[in-house]
Amino acid sequence: MTTNIIGARIKALREERKLSQDELARLFGFKDRQTVSAIETGERRVTAEELVIAVEKLGVSLDYFTDPFLLVGEGRFSWRQTDVGPQKLSAYERNAGRWIAAFRAIAPQVGRSAPLLRRSLGITRHQRFEDAMEAGERFVAEFELGDIPAKRLVEVMERKLGILVLMVDAFQGISGAACRLPELDVVLINRHEIAGRRHFDLAHELFHILTWDAMPPEHSEEARETGGNRVEQLANNFASAVLMPTPALDRFGDWSEIAGGELAGRLNAVANELQVTASALKWRLVALDRLKPAAARTVSDAALRNNGRDVVQTVLPPPFSKPFTEVIALAVDEGRVSARRAAALLDLTVDDLADLCATHGVQAPVEQ
Amino acid sequence: MARHRGPVLVDTNVILECFRVGSWRALSSGYNIETVEDCVTETQTGYQRRRAELQIDAAHLVATLQAVHPVTDAERAVVAIRVPDIALDVGERSLWAHALTRSDAWVLCGPDKASLRFGVRLGLRNRLIALEALLGDAGHRPKDALKLAYTTKWLEKVLGELFISEGLGRL
Repeated sequence: MTTNIIGARIKALREERKLSQDELARLFGFKDRQTVSAIETGERRVTAEELVIAVEKLGVSLDYFTDPFLLVGEGRFSWRQTDVGPQKLSAYERNAGRWIAAFRAIAPQVGRSAPLLRRSLGITRHQRFEDAMEAGERFVAEFELGDIPAKRLVEVMERKLGILVLMVDAFQGISGAACRLPELDVVLINRHEIAGRRHFDLAHELFHILTWDAMPPEHSEEARETGGNRVEQLANNFASAVLMPTPALDRFGDWSEIAGGELAGRLNAVANELQVTASALKWRLVALDRLKPAAARTVSDAALRNNGRDVVQTVLPPPFSKPFTEVIALAVDEGRVSARRAAALLDLTVDDLADLCATHGVQAPVEQ
Repeated sequence: MARHRGPVLVDTNVILECFRVGSWRALSSGYNIETVEDCVTETQTGYQRRRAELQIDAAHLVATLQAVHPVTDAERAVVAIRVPDIALDVGERSLWAHALTRSDAWVLCGPDKASLRFGVRLGLRNRLIALEALLGDAGHRPKDALKLAYTTKWLEKVLGELFISEGLGRL
């Protein structure tokens, strides 16, 4: 939190307002633009008096310049959503940005810095969908995701790749997002989605994180398991292969011999076992040529909805994540962040914060 | 210990704890208790950040306080510049922003470790006091036990840890 937040934010606001350093220097009453330049690069510290001038002259709050729990002019998001308007999405992004900014600021203070180096996939947008699938298969093998990759995917993303994965309460229609900061990769998943869709979103966003520099994703894309632009299709193929690698599918035998009337039931049963959606499984089998497109089309979407269950799961994954909660709890316990501030960040009471810790098996930093 | 005769600055947590254990009258009549406007706001329902909220009449609270101070952006800016890496809540930050403007013999009572770290960082460890000590010096013993973070023993232990953590133990 000691980096040059104020200087960077003055620069971000100046650029947003399309002001030159000379114009800003006049606003502050500096004799030349060099002083503004020095402030923006962090060579010179802003005084409290100058900070107040910035607040008054630029018409923003003091917190805009000083709150480390904000993302200002930084952080790129890519949302998976269905029919969510830009305003609603933007409001939610601001909120999510606070959690992410807070984690970025306090994790290094409590000894939980993000990895120095990032992993990436050597795939470009010109490559074939089969290449994305092969990458998915290799990912499963290399990171030993096992027979049911969905089970261990979050753990691998967190522990092996240093990605912050947050299970969040999002508006209906928001499936998830990938977010990239210079120092941190984050995946947000709407924890109210059904398990199969959550897992698919997770693997899909993982692809974006691993290919961000080569193929920066759109800010917002429609959440679906097939179709979309080329990058989205590559991401979907990668995600399908991660969650349903061929060795895992081999266990379930030959699909071509299954009679039409039994196909939906079989798809639902296997999808439940692999913790994916039956629809994603159906198209994965088609992509692998284990199921003919004509046979796949005989199975209606309705027969596969909720993997054939009448009642949708009611057990939600706990909010946020254990690594995130640990960082918050450590920061409160060490006196880096006040308990009230931490609770406010998560829109909880202090008592709820203690409960959140208990849910994740983390020592609560406050007495209830 | 002799009772402190100067101003006592209290934060939201302390006011809430006093009302919870029924010790507000003893505290407010025993000392010159002062706070800031943001802390008064945070004692009201909807702002307490407690699951079971207390009903605290704002007019009564203000009437029993020696002073309730407004805090300006200029005062808050001093906090942000001097200690940019400790994230305080609104009321805690305003209370410190106000405290830093004063030159009299104030003490500050607030149990949050981040607030305590702030005080230790600025060399104000001796200005920090536990609610238990204040009540004890005023001859009052709460009917319900104070939570641990309001006790003298806990405060001394935490201040010692923070002193070392801030690298001040080497000086």
